[in-house]
Amino acid sequence: MESITPFPKTATHPRAARATTLPWTVATMLLGSTSIIVGLIWDISWHMTIGRDTFWTPAHMAVYLGGVLAGLSGGWLALHTTFAGTADERAVTVRFWGFRAPLGAWVAIWGALAMLTSAPFDDWWHSAYGLDVKIISPPHMVLAAGMIAIQIGAMLLVLALQNRAAAGETGGESRVLGTAFLYAAGVVLLMLASVLMEDSYPNAQHGAHFYRASCLVYPVLLAAVARASRLRWAATKTALFYTVLSLAMVWILPLFPAQPKLAPINLPLDHMAAPLFPLLLIVPACTIDLILQRRSGTGARRARWWTAPLLATAFLALFLAVQWPFSKFLLSPAAQNAVFAGDRHWDYSRVPGDWMTQYWHKNRPPMTPRAAGAAWLIAAVSAQVGLGLGAWMARVQR
Amino acid sequence: MRALIPWRLSVLAILAILWVLVLFPSSAHAHVGSPNVFFEGSAGPWPVRIIVRPPAVIPGLAEIAVRVKEGSPARIQVQPVQWKAGLKGAPPPDEARPVRGDQGLWSGQLWIMTAGSYSVRVKIDGPAGEGVAVVPVAAVRTRTLGMQRTMSLVLAGLGLLLVAGAVTLVGAAVRESVLPPGEEPDLRRRRWARATVVGAAILLTLAVLGGRKWWASVDAEARENLYQPLHIATAARRAGDGRLLSLVIDDPRWHEGDHSPLTSDHGKLMHLFLLREPALDTLAHLHPVPEDESQDRFEVSLPRPLPAGRYRLYADIVEETGFAETLTSTVDVPSLTRGIPAEGPIGPRPDPDDSWRTGGAGDGALEGGFAMTWEHDAQPLRANRETELRFAVRDASGQPAALEPYMGMLSHAVISRDDGKVFVHLHPVGSFSMAAQEAFEREGDNMPGMDHGMSGMSGITTNEISFPYEFPQPGHYRLWVQVKSAGAVRTGVFDADVRP
Repeated sequence: MESITPFPKTATHPRAARATTLPWTVATMLLGSTSIIVGLIWDISWHMTIGRDTFWTPAHMAVYLGGVLAGLSGGWLALHTTFAGTADERAVTVRFWGFRAPLGAWVAIWGALAMLTSAPFDDWWHSAYGLDVKIISPPHMVLAAGMIAIQIGAMLLVLALQNRAAAGETGGESRVLGTAFLYAAGVVLLMLASVLMEDSYPNAQHGAHFYRASCLVYPVLLAAVARASRLRWAATKTALFYTVLSLAMVWILPLFPAQPKLAPINLPLDHMAAPLFPLLLIVPACTIDLILQRRSGTGARRARWWTAPLLATAFLALFLAVQWPFSKFLLSPAAQNAVFAGDRHWDYSRVPGDWMTQYWHKNRPPMTPRAAGAAWLIAAVSAQVGLGLGAWMARVQR
Repeated sequence: MRALIPWRLSVLAILAILWVLVLFPSSAHAHVGSPNVFFEGSAGPWPVRIIVRPPAVIPGLAEIAVRVKEGSPARIQVQPVQWKAGLKGAPPPDEARPVRGDQGLWSGQLWIMTAGSYSVRVKIDGPAGEGVAVVPVAAVRTRTLGMQRTMSLVLAGLGLLLVAGAVTLVGAAVRESVLPPGEEPDLRRRRWARATVVGAAILLTLAVLGGRKWWASVDAEARENLYQPLHIATAARRAGDGRLLSLVIDDPRWHEGDHSPLTSDHGKLMHLFLLREPALDTLAHLHPVPEDESQDRFEVSLPRPLPAGRYRLYADIVEETGFAETLTSTVDVPSLTRGIPAEGPIGPRPDPDDSWRTGGAGDGALEGGFAMTWEHDAQPLRANRETELRFAVRDASGQPAALEPYMGMLSHAVISRDDGKVFVHLHPVGSFSMAAQEAFEREGDNMPGMDHGMSGMSGITTNEISFPYEFPQPGHYRLWVQVKSAGAVRTGVFDADVRP
């Protein structure tokens, strides 16, 4: 029966806390989270290739589906637990304006509401300032906050299950939950990378801005995950999920024929544009795991005052060590193929030229030692916040 | 459900006030002028009138209305062609659809993605054959948008809900999320939760204020990028026994960026219209010439009959890219010298196509005993309503006067609202610039069966002229209609009240 209960019972049935399968609400939430990121990347490719869209494009549908799945399963959880929940079900919830539901459900509901709010706001924005002049705009940020909230909600739901399952247990049951948590985190990582896309072209990867932005966003998540997970190599696996999802989009989208439908078409395209090749985050992630893992068994070490600076140093050094030369490769003719898609992530309005295979320096601060220092400082703060968040996440029960 | 306790209420109240402050309503800018483009002519075998209503924000949607005056086309396609990208870089055409309840009217929409020179290609297919018309459009940002009250209230409500929700989430996370199942939070944990709620409210408020600043900067940038015609400095002075008007394009943007050299429209680099303030009792249609190749300084001799006074000045120019604009200014014209001629250069010789008319709206009397009648029905003119301005010309004996081309056109009309906020230079073929159309043709945007909107010009023997137009705003307008007959340019002056 467990597979159809909205949320596993706990207190009176201790065994029940160790869910044998993912509860459907959690599975739906993870599906919604995936649908959103797939829809988002698809939509960006759509804008780069076809340009013109309507409310009803398949990419938009995927995003709405994700919002609806998350909103409905979160909403169902809240209504069910509040009005028809057993004492056991209510025991693993938090209170929100008189209603009760697991924290992850509330975060996802909030996300769905934020996505809903962004719709009229974005529509007005288009008529006031023109259609999507920039990806990073206030209404898009409200939308992105909603999407990320849904993905974090999914992550928190799994996390609570994982943590309630017997602590320290590494066998079968909690392995499913632990992996589901890392998958949810991988989706969040891909979402963050997608938000940073405009700053993450290989051409920008010798500039200070790319490293500062990366140091702000990635260490916090990777450190938190590594700390909160009950599995070994948690950050690495999270980065792996990010890489696999990302590669799937890079390889699948350009298989579909498509044609620009807006003028000026400076770059004739006949297939969907590819997203950017994934960042090699897996390397610094691996090091974060090495630093945070206990030598024996699983789980995180206690963080010391020097942990965050150490993480920052490792993250920045390794990220620089791999991404700096790799970007050079991505800009080379060797990457201009279906595997690396080095030449397939340009939109129809780009005027082809040498700039496509050169590093961009105009109006962009270079990566000087001083800029590296600033990036390191950002990474240290980010890692410290991540460690704190991770410590909290490791204890989330509801 | 527990009632909200006071501290929580106060947090919400503070958030609400801040939130209302955030949604600053920006005032709507009514744009000035007459942005819609009219085309009257034919697309191959199809006689058509095309109206292009460009978007006020860019990227934005242009509305295309195609009225087919004869026959039933099977298909009409519209396509935007941006100057730099050309036909090669144009997207596949879009289908226009017949408008229900209005026989012969088709409509379509096109995305205009960048500011600058565009042309809209209208392709008509049907039993009569295939034809193409090209309508040049200068796409410019002309307004930003204010937010409607209901909209801002809805958004403010949702935004407040989101902020309050986020704050509550943080509180719930701290208060209960890490407790073992079933355990109630103790007092310490509750206090701690309250403190974080306040902290989160402060942080979120800062984030919202940051968002407001961001929004304001986007708004300011949008306002800055609104279309501003090139700035000109003008002066009129006595020269010899006449007067000279000089016009300098002193805008720093003129020789940089997207601007290109001027091209001639009806054989002239500049069509300059002078309207005497405040009564609009004099019109001059002159053709200044540039001093040198830089095309910075233009000069023109002012016709002797032009009375002294302050004039509104509108200078129509077309760039090689087909981008047409109207530069505006005012100028004080001195009276003619009496006695000793003024010193200094006397300036260029007057252009034989220069013309002028003094006097207000009358009964349609033209120079030399000719007469012009405005043939309109009893229906009042209304703003934003498609209309046809029809005029007939008779000679001194009351017979229909044979019209001759005046600078390649059967007629030129100038329409201005009394406050000067609307000004348009029209021809029977519409309001687009012929030079712009030619520019697009030079760039290969040409096809067999394409019409230049000049039909009816060759071998015409008519005394009637008509102009397609839509008055953009209500108000009191003056119209000057210029024709050439018996070797002389003659100008009829009319007034029109346009209702909302």
